[in-house]
Amino acid sequence: MPDLIIDNLTMRFSGLVALDEVSFSVKNNEIFSLIGPNGSGKTTLFNCINGFNKPQNGKIYFNGDNLLGKKAHRIIHSGISRTFQNVQNIPFMTILDNILLGANSRIDALDTLKRCVSRDQRKTEESMALEIMDFLGMANYEQKFMMGQPFAIQKLAEIARALVSKPKLILLDEPAAGMNDQETREIANIIRDIRDELGVTVLLVEHDMNLVMSISDRICVLESGKILALGKPNVVKDDPKVIESYLGEPLDA
Amino acid sequence: MKDRYDHENIYWIPILIIFVFLLPLILKGISFSYKYYLFVLNLAGIYIILNVGLDLLSGFTGLVSLGHAAFLAVGAYTSAIMVDQLGVPFSLSLILSPVIVGLFGFIIGFPALRISGMYLGLTTMGFGFIVKRIIISFRDWTQGSAGLEVSSPVLFGYTIKSDLDNYYLIYTFVIVAIIIGRRIATSKIGRSFMAIRDSEQAAEASGINLSQYKMLAFFISGLFAGFAGVLFAHTSSFISTDHFDILLSIYFIIMVLVGGASSIYGAVLGSLFIVLLDNLFVPLIEDQIQLLFNTQAGDIQSLIFGLIMFLFIIFQPMGLYGMWLKMRIYWKLFPFNPRQRFT
Ligand SMILES: Nc1ncnc2c1ncn2[C@@H]1O[C@H](COP(=O)(O)OP(=O)(O)OP(=O)(O)O)[C@@H](O)[C@H]1O
Ligand SMILES: [Mg+2]
Repeated sequence: MPDLIIDNLTMRFSGLVALDEVSFSVKNNEIFSLIGPNGSGKTTLFNCINGFNKPQNGKIYFNGDNLLGKKAHRIIHSGISRTFQNVQNIPFMTILDNILLGANSRIDALDTLKRCVSRDQRKTEESMALEIMDFLGMANYEQKFMMGQPFAIQKLAEIARALVSKPKLILLDEPAAGMNDQETREIANIIRDIRDELGVTVLLVEHDMNLVMSISDRICVLESGKILALGKPNVVKDDPKVIESYLGEPLDA
Repeated sequence: MKDRYDHENIYWIPILIIFVFLLPLILKGISFSYKYYLFVLNLAGIYIILNVGLDLLSGFTGLVSLGHAAFLAVGAYTSAIMVDQLGVPFSLSLILSPVIVGLFGFIIGFPALRISGMYLGLTTMGFGFIVKRIIISFRDWTQGSAGLEVSSPVLFGYTIKSDLDNYYLIYTFVIVAIIIGRRIATSKIGRSFMAIRDSEQAAEASGINLSQYKMLAFFISGLFAGFAGVLFAHTSSFISTDHFDILLSIYFIIMVLVGGASSIYGAVLGSLFIVLLDNLFVPLIEDQIQLLFNTQAGDIQSLIFGLIMFLFIIFQPMGLYGMWLKMRIYWKLFPFNPRQRFT
């Protein structure tokens, strides 16, 4: 039973066709990667799922929900959260508060009123964030301001913000960009843990081929908005079309 | 799980509250100009209430308002008319008038859904002109440009008349406003406001309905301004359109900036700093210029405020409160790492 169904999706920006009749589906509990050259439409696809872009044609279903009918701020209520290619954090807020932002969908108006009179609610909210910070191994960062933090911490905080809403599907847009080898390995482990321990389906966009090949269940290659290849890592890796247009030379096994 | 607020220093809050309530007595003991100081402090208190609301709107949410003098005016005139001409009790007006100004804020908030930055500033400023025009036109209710006498506040059958009574009335509400402001700022609402200011994308992806929260920011800001307006009208016993000049709106923004945008304590410090400066320091300078050059000092007030704002934006963008935070961290770490980054 597929989780996320992308059906015949077309997204045009005036003249430019960013996504051209793209169809695929992501299964429950899969790590599914999207790769492709710059400008091939990966982020645009995220923006369509997420409600930022309104595609001209096609459908997106998630667990039977039609996502295209929803406003961007409702998508998280369907169980989908995301991170951004260019980190989007709130610099003058503590890391803890940045992460709590993602818990908004778990805190209703009554809770907010309760928070005004009791400390318990405050603790409840904070434990939501601290739990996920523990999971990501960044618990000692809670009280620090986001401004001036190392890039790796900022990216990690963004993942934490996306996870604290307890999503069923997480969209990660280049989580390892700008990271060194050590940090990239940590990211790989974290992505596996997100799937294995939290049971969250992962849709990943990433340029680091070693990372993608090592953790993905399936890979979809986009080029100029079209699907070039789709399948298991070792099949995609050896596909002559993919080698020619994206990988450049065959990857070592 | 450990509670990170267990070691938050809150012991100074009751001390500060006691100080606020003893201050008039101290002033009476040490100065002949005691009455003038009380008047200045009362004004500062009213501006604190307004600026806590302005900070939530312009500092936290990033929606610049240059119309807050008009918000204050709407609150003041609404309450004056309700109490003196419609016979509504002061205590009821204290609740109704802010709600009306909040709804006004709601209406002004509509353009904010489409525009931002300088254009929003100009739109809210335009709102200020319109309000002034309306007040002058509705002569029957407002006495037009002649100004309006306003009755003193009556609470629980007690008429609040003297400057001292006013001080206690105003500062009781100042404390309430600060507490409520802090609660809003540290809750989901405050987080959402800052997210809207710094990243609409992150905000929306986190489930924040941008339009709803922007309107909420205007509404909340209107509530605070309305509250300040009611207190202003009834404690100063006379209001006219001159009290709510466009320049005042700009001074409010300066107060918030100088205090440190997006911190409630900053709004408090900024209001106190600018009002005290304006009423205690500026007259001194004017006297000096009079003595030295034997001419009237022109608009020295604007000059000083402009200069202060300029210096703060360049050298201390985090404002007075940011300065205090830096100092505190410096002392905490003192012998070890005094140059550690503030963040
Ligand atoms: N809002 C927009 N308006 C106009 N054009 C856009 C918009 N968003 C994306 N595009 C265009 O759509 C194409 C696909 O962009 P997209 O950001 O999806 O690429 P990408 O695959 O994420 O690339 P990268 O690897 O560089 O992140 C690009 O040519 C881009 O210029
Ligand atoms: Mg991209």
